[in-house]
Amino acid sequence: MKKLLMACAVWSLAASTAWAEDVTLTMWTVANNAPEAVFAQEFSEMDNGIKIDVREIKFDDIIAETLRAFATKKNPDLISVDNPNHAAFAAAGAFLDLTSFVEASDQINMDNYFDGPRSSLTWDGKPYGIPRASNTIALYYNKDMFSAAGLDPDAPPSTWDELYDAAKKLTDPANDVYGIAFSAKASEEGTFQFLPWAQMAGGSFENINVPGAADALDLWKKLFDEGLTSPDTLTRGQWDSTGTFNGGNAAMAISGPWELKRMSGDAKFDWGVALLPGPSVDAPRASALGDFNIAVFSNTENAEAAFKFLEYQDSQVERLWPEFSRMPSHKGVALAPTGDAKIDAASAVFVEQLQFARNRGPHPKWPNISKAIQNAMQSALTGKQSSTDALAEAAAAIAKVK
Amino acid sequence: MKACAKWIRDGIGFDALLIAMALTYLLAFAGLPLLYNIIISFQVVDMFSLNQLFHEFAGWDNYIEVFHDPAAAEVLWNTTLFTIVSVFFQFTLGFALALFFNQKFPGATWFRGLFLAGWVMPGLVVGVLWNWLLSGDFGVINWTLETLGIIGEPIFWRSDVDYSLISVILANIWYGVPFNMILLSVGLAGIPEDLYEAAALDGATALQKFTTITLPMMRSTIGAVIALGIIFTLQQFDLFAAITSGGPAGSSLVAQYWSWELSFRQFEFGRGAVIAVLMIVVVLGVTVFYVRSTRQETRL
Repeated sequence: MKKLLMACAVWSLAASTAWAEDVTLTMWTVANNAPEAVFAQEFSEMDNGIKIDVREIKFDDIIAETLRAFATKKNPDLISVDNPNHAAFAAAGAFLDLTSFVEASDQINMDNYFDGPRSSLTWDGKPYGIPRASNTIALYYNKDMFSAAGLDPDAPPSTWDELYDAAKKLTDPANDVYGIAFSAKASEEGTFQFLPWAQMAGGSFENINVPGAADALDLWKKLFDEGLTSPDTLTRGQWDSTGTFNGGNAAMAISGPWELKRMSGDAKFDWGVALLPGPSVDAPRASALGDFNIAVFSNTENAEAAFKFLEYQDSQVERLWPEFSRMPSHKGVALAPTGDAKIDAASAVFVEQLQFARNRGPHPKWPNISKAIQNAMQSALTGKQSSTDALAEAAAAIAKVK
Repeated sequence: MKACAKWIRDGIGFDALLIAMALTYLLAFAGLPLLYNIIISFQVVDMFSLNQLFHEFAGWDNYIEVFHDPAAAEVLWNTTLFTIVSVFFQFTLGFALALFFNQKFPGATWFRGLFLAGWVMPGLVVGVLWNWLLSGDFGVINWTLETLGIIGEPIFWRSDVDYSLISVILANIWYGVPFNMILLSVGLAGIPEDLYEAAALDGATALQKFTTITLPMMRSTIGAVIALGIIFTLQQFDLFAAITSGGPAGSSLVAQYWSWELSFRQFEFGRGAVIAVLMIVVVLGVTVFYVRSTRQETRL
């Protein structure tokens, strides 16, 4: 009987909403449990006549899939896009210029966002989306191992030299412990991890061939050559690399706040987070700026409805940290304490690190630039080329990208 | 109208119709994409001009860029090595197993069937399994080799430039052996038993039987298996994607993976198409070889 009643209720609900001539939007995202997917679900259930169908597409495929869809006009209305890929779509006119919508909006104000995420979605001075969240990378370290190796667990390495010394002291092949885990993979992840090192040493993606960037590569190479990091660092992504840290097989790891939840469950030791060490104490700080933006496609028929969703997304910013462990791109939104002391200590470091996070791009041909950086990184680390030669080749390749 | 129906029913019309159907299918689904690929290889095609019918003409620029790419020489060498070594071992191991299972012992056909289990698995799954087996720090293969005392230090199969291509070759050999074995088994089953009986009466040794009966009778099958092996190996993509992604530092980059990477990672569709065109030329050569060996088969 109860079931029957339920069925009736559902049926009548469906019938009544069908009356209201709903607008149905589609949105592509890389994860069904990502904030925008959850918010879209809530937004659909509201009484606003707008429904959003969310389709999940694997991270590795979403750009190629979207291009194919856009070429045949079968693209969604909304997409959540990794920030270095945003410029290509904006520059090609595939995303909707939101200037007039933002001007009329009470909710969205572009000045509320940090400069990094805002510039990642700005093209030609106009906004082409809103940031979903922001992340960055910093240094995780195992405090128990620091103590055991005679290092001060409250004074994590702050320069490259200190990082190298610590990695050397912490490496313990007899117990399968490497000094440090990171990712030098030939993918966007590798660029994400390496570029900040070049930036701290005065380089940038437009100017990658600087002596400091070569020093950074030389240091990385030393970590490989002396067995202070696993050779698999060359082929492993950040998530798998940090997994070895959680398992006690690496004493330090470079990764982002997305690791915190898993680490607090998996890591059976005391750990902390420190800012990314620089070439010297007074060197400019830098880190990578990650996470996604949400954009509306320019050929949508329901731009108003889509923008309403962006407003809803933007209004839920306070929930990003407690519910999704993602850091807001909004200035002045404090991260609420989670009750986990280690996570709360770490989040303060990530908030500080995020201030120094720099964009990859914006550049419409970012994948080509990124590929050149990956090539340099890998050929220097495998000894195919010297760091300077590798970076010179990368700089030449980047200069050729139109 | 009636004449037309009659032509189709009784004349050569029916034959023509059947051929036309097959030909239309081939032209539409293989011919056109092939042609389009060749056209694209002479054009400038990027992310957002993909949907336009006409693109800027590039002349031989894409070809020149591909050949002048620092990776080109290594890719050529890797592709050649990957293909030759894979096909050689797939064939010899497959042939050895086919001969073995051709002996009449209990359960021979069952075991032969079981070997196919590996081949029916999707390439990506096989790749992921080998990825785990070959893992440097925690891999089963390293553990086995170390326990047996064959190696002292773990080999970083996927991350060592000296081993990365070998890892994919190993996986590919494993993956291709069952297919070779089954095709060769079919060939072996087709050799009349009385040939061997007659040879036995004449006092031929096992080796003589193999070189004078088995090999000559298997010629067309062997030709076909090797040709298919080369084609399948040139198509092999999943294992690269799952094990090394062509890395590190391009040390296991082969033409098929490079083409995909250029087209769908860097969105240089023109250059991706160039590699595809070059591969088509190679495969075409192999196909001629394949057609010639199977033509002999029908003549038998």
